[in-house]
Amino acid sequence: MLGEFEYLLITAAAGLGDKAYGAAIRAEIETTTGRRCSIGALYTTIDRLETKGLLKTWMSDATPQRGGRAKRMVRVTAKGVQAAKDFYDAVTRVSRGASWAVDRTRRAS
Amino acid sequence: MTSTSWPLVEVATRLLEPDEREAVLGDLLEAGEGGWSGLLGVLGLVVRRQLQLFRSWRPWAASFGLTLPGSLLLMGFSVTIASNCERLAHHKILIEPLGGIDEASISLFCRGLLLIGGSWVCGYVVGSVSRKTLWMSIVSCCFPCLFCLVRFREPSLSKFCLFLFLLPAVWGVHHALRLTRINLSLAILLAIAITTLTLLPTNSRGVWFLNWSLVWPAWYLVAMARQEGWKK
Repeated sequence: MLGEFEYLLITAAAGLGDKAYGAAIRAEIETTTGRRCSIGALYTTIDRLETKGLLKTWMSDATPQRGGRAKRMVRVTAKGVQAAKDFYDAVTRVSRGASWAVDRTRRAS
Repeated sequence: MTSTSWPLVEVATRLLEPDEREAVLGDLLEAGEGGWSGLLGVLGLVVRRQLQLFRSWRPWAASFGLTLPGSLLLMGFSVTIASNCERLAHHKILIEPLGGIDEASISLFCRGLLLIGGSWVCGYVVGSVSRKTLWMSIVSCCFPCLFCLVRFREPSLSKFCLFLFLLPAVWGVHHALRLTRINLSLAILLAIAITTLTLLPTNSRGVWFLNWSLVWPAWYLVAMARQEGWKK
């Protein structure tokens, strides 16, 4: 099963779609969680997920916006989508009956 | 990114793979990250990458299985050869100036060849096995070198005699880092030559026994060359 940060990364990359690359994923994680995401954690996790076959990465062409530096583009594979879905299902199942989850459900309804 | 810290960040990213360096520098520029936090981020990534490398057996085998014992052995071997060379030169000049090539000269020549060949092979194997963690092998070589340098007490010999093995060893590492492929037939020839030279009898039995540890890197080189041949 995925780890928490792995799940966040896959979800952020999936949400960004064709615009998923290092800096964008990092900004997305920092904005949504309110936590700092280090470059070291980001790139080592991307590598690990790619080794597991959950992500595919490639280098894009250089763009002038980034001082002529290329981006490392990221795409979530079908296996990655399945792994994220399994993680989400497990978290949802295990949270059933938890006070914070019940409160949230009531507020939503 | 402040102008003072940016060069430091650029230097730190040189420790990364070229593609990763490109992506990381671009990300830092795009995020407009503060200089020191950018530097810390890059150093964090470098440390994580190094730690990942040390999860493999390769850097440990290269450092503690070959470089550390190999350096000690080759230093002892270097001193033995230098000492024999000095004794022989003294004998040739003062006692028997017109004497021909005797058994001692041939034996010394063979030991010299074994030192050069063995050091080169050890350097090549260390360079091939732990390309990205070579710094650890260098540290593993420096410790015994400094230890022996401090304790070296042989008035007739220069302290540099300890390091006769270094030049061929560095040459071997250089070849490995330049990804120079070793031809299988050349590797076999080298391994047979080193094994044969090790079999030759010598006056100092202890050293002769330890010389066998120079043989396995030579045959490992053969295995590597064979594997490369299969990959083609």
